Amino acid sequence: MTAYLRNPLTIVWAFLSFSTVVSWALSRDVGGSAQMSALVTTGVLLIAAVKAQFVIRYFMEVRHAPAWLQRTLNAWLILLFAFLLGAYFAGL
Amino acid sequence: MTVADASAVVDRDTRTTVVTRSRHVPGEPSMWFFVIGDLFIFAIYFVLYVVYRQQQHALFLSSEQHLNQGIGAINTVVLLTSSLFVALGTQTARLGKARDAMRLFVFAAATGALFPILKLVEWLPELGAGLTPGHNLFFMFYYVMAGLHLCHVMLGLVIMCFVIRDLRISKAPDMKFIEAGATYWHMVDLLWLVLFALFYLMR
Repeated sequence: MTAYLRNPLTIVWAFLSFSTVVSWALSRDVGGSAQMSALVTTGVLLIAAVKAQFVIRYFMEVRHAPAWLQRTLNAWLILLFAFLLGAYFAGL
Repeated sequence: MTVADASAVVDRDTRTTVVTRSRHVPGEPSMWFFVIGDLFIFAIYFVLYVVYRQQQHALFLSSEQHLNQGIGAINTVVLLTSSLFVALGTQTARLGKARDAMRLFVFAAATGALFPILKLVEWLPELGAGLTPGHNLFFMFYYVMAGLHLCHVMLGLVIMCFVIRDLRISKAPDMKFIEAGATYWHMVDLLWLVLFALFYLMR
């Protein structure tokens, strides 16, 4: 049991759960300011990108995978969040 | 990877014993084409959602207020916890401890099964209040994308049952199959992390 608690995967899980709560708290009661909304949305999307990277590397074990797989998933992550932020700010 | 060709080494950073093989593709390489394809298809939907959201900003912003953020956050932690059990189960199966691995996969399935139950708790009052897919463009996106994701969750739960069965009855668990099932489940978790940010948290 303690071995599971000390496992790096459990530490990654704790970080992912904590950042879920942080991003939820961030997005509450933003108010009407457009600048504040943009700041919160950027923060929320960046936190989601970091969380996604941890899931890919640790849970999916891609950090031990061949370079082609690491590169493909990195490309997916970077393209997705670049387009999401781009579409958000282009439409403001 | 089977237990036979795995090697147990001590991870210098974490001082824990881990089983590694250099540059190993988890599961079947062919399965990754499906996973990557699915990720890119969802990515297109995600970007389209933000494009339409910005075009009809006021409508989407007011519609988002009707969602239950609390259930969305709890469901995120539910899937993360289920994913943790799957990842620990995969590591444990690799060490040849099939019984312990099976227990971890049972915990993973039990936690994962909470997700569709919570979705029902979330959706029934919303549908009852007339917030159906036909209500507006936001709710169309919301139900179609979350519904598509829910189908992935259900398929993932079925795959997990087969993994549990393999660990229970087989003397030499099929690591390729376990890893493939685990990868699929983590993909489901990964997609939800983005869906949660887009539907529940964006402002």
